[in-house]
Amino acid sequence: MIRLENITTRYFSSVSFEIKGGSVCKIITKSDDEKTILLNTILGIRRPISGRVFLLGKDIYSIPEKEYIKVLKRIGVVLEYGGIISNLKVWENVILSVWYHMGKRPGDVEERVIEIFKEMGMDPSYLKELMGRLPGPLPVYEKRLIGLVRAMLTEPDLMVYDSIFEGLNPEMLEGLIKLTEKFHLEKPGRTSIYISSNALSMDSIKADQILRLSN
Amino acid sequence: MQIINIQKIGGNVINALRDLKGCYSLFCYFIRNLLVLRIAPIRSVLYRQIYFTGIEALSKIAIIGTLIGIVIITQVANIVGLNAVLTGRILIWTVVRELGPLFAAIIVIARSGTAIASELGSMKVNREVDSLRIMGIDPIDYLIVPRIVGITVSVFILTFYFQIMAIAGGLAFTSVFIDIPFFQHLKGIFSALSLFEVVVSLLKSLVFGLLISTVSCHQGFTVQSSITEIPQAATRAVMQSLFLVFIFDGMITVISFT
Repeated sequence: MIRLENITTRYFSSVSFEIKGGSVCKIITKSDDEKTILLNTILGIRRPISGRVFLLGKDIYSIPEKEYIKVLKRIGVVLEYGGIISNLKVWENVILSVWYHMGKRPGDVEERVIEIFKEMGMDPSYLKELMGRLPGPLPVYEKRLIGLVRAMLTEPDLMVYDSIFEGLNPEMLEGLIKLTEKFHLEKPGRTSIYISSNALSMDSIKADQILRLSN
Repeated sequence: MQIINIQKIGGNVINALRDLKGCYSLFCYFIRNLLVLRIAPIRSVLYRQIYFTGIEALSKIAIIGTLIGIVIITQVANIVGLNAVLTGRILIWTVVRELGPLFAAIIVIARSGTAIASELGSMKVNREVDSLRIMGIDPIDYLIVPRIVGITVSVFILTFYFQIMAIAGGLAFTSVFIDIPFFQHLKGIFSALSLFEVVVSLLKSLVFGLLISTVSCHQGFTVQSSITEIPQAATRAVMQSLFLVFIFDGMITVISFT
């Protein structure tokens, strides 16, 4: 699913590892900067100084743009602060990916969106209000949920969670972990990667593989 | 004695050339990828841009256009007296040939050029641009192509609207406060107005729209990771847009009317 071969960046050198398809993997880095660089390197956003990255079987820094986009369409990423687009309303953020790539409209995904938010204990009347708001002033937890729902709607083969369990109260944490674990099992062969510089925040995740990045 | 700082001048020239190259590359990309406007979410960004830049500026353009029309008519009537034909011609020459495209461009630079540079800059700082990329959405397709089209269409419409308001304002003012007969004045205006004048004026507005949008988007995207870069990018967007608009205005005027 993912293979890094001798990756060297400003923050680490000669990093190699492989994550098998269908597995749950935790990646623990020493700092947030290191985590961001590693994540960006894996996703093809930042070219490493040397080394190769194979994502879903493709050498992402040497394939044409169109093929790279195809790879990205099979991946869902939930960023620490949700990766929300600030000038779009919440509902536009939620459907952006599926609207852009699959042409789906709000009505097509409404049921699924309500279902996920309900699972996270969100009141339906508040949900209606939330959807029409701009995301700027929302708490980080809600931004993460919006990013999570957006990623889940694309039914990805690979799901990446970037520090989404940090700073949550126990109930929120438990609910979010349950949701991601359930989502992992919904599609056979789906791979889930949890990445954080805070090992404690991912303590409750049951992983097949744990990687610690160190020099 | 003040010593000319050659190093600073050289640095400024290199930066200006780098910005020009960046704008040119962005413009070429825009031309090659215009068809992305077929994608519905990109079209929604386009409509929003036309709303913010075009529709929301209509009231300001109406006020400024009317006032400019009144000022020109008052000044011209003061110089040439109650000559309806000449007054009408001067109104057309100044408003349609020059002031319409220029004022619409300046208002769009002030309202939307700064807004776009700041908005795109803050999206880069907040990693929203990376977030789009991770979703498999090309940030230039999604953020820049519709903005360039939206601003160009808006400047085009606002120019036309400014000209109508300035001429109407001038006509109304002369009819009420200056002793120039309305129909005689109207005749003067139509005798001076040719299709060539209108085409050149609208060509200017299209060129200005493309310049403003490309420069503002380019400056927004030059922001890297620091929030303090955002106001600097907005200032550069305004200054470079104004500079290019005046240069191209001069060029088009000289080519068209000599």
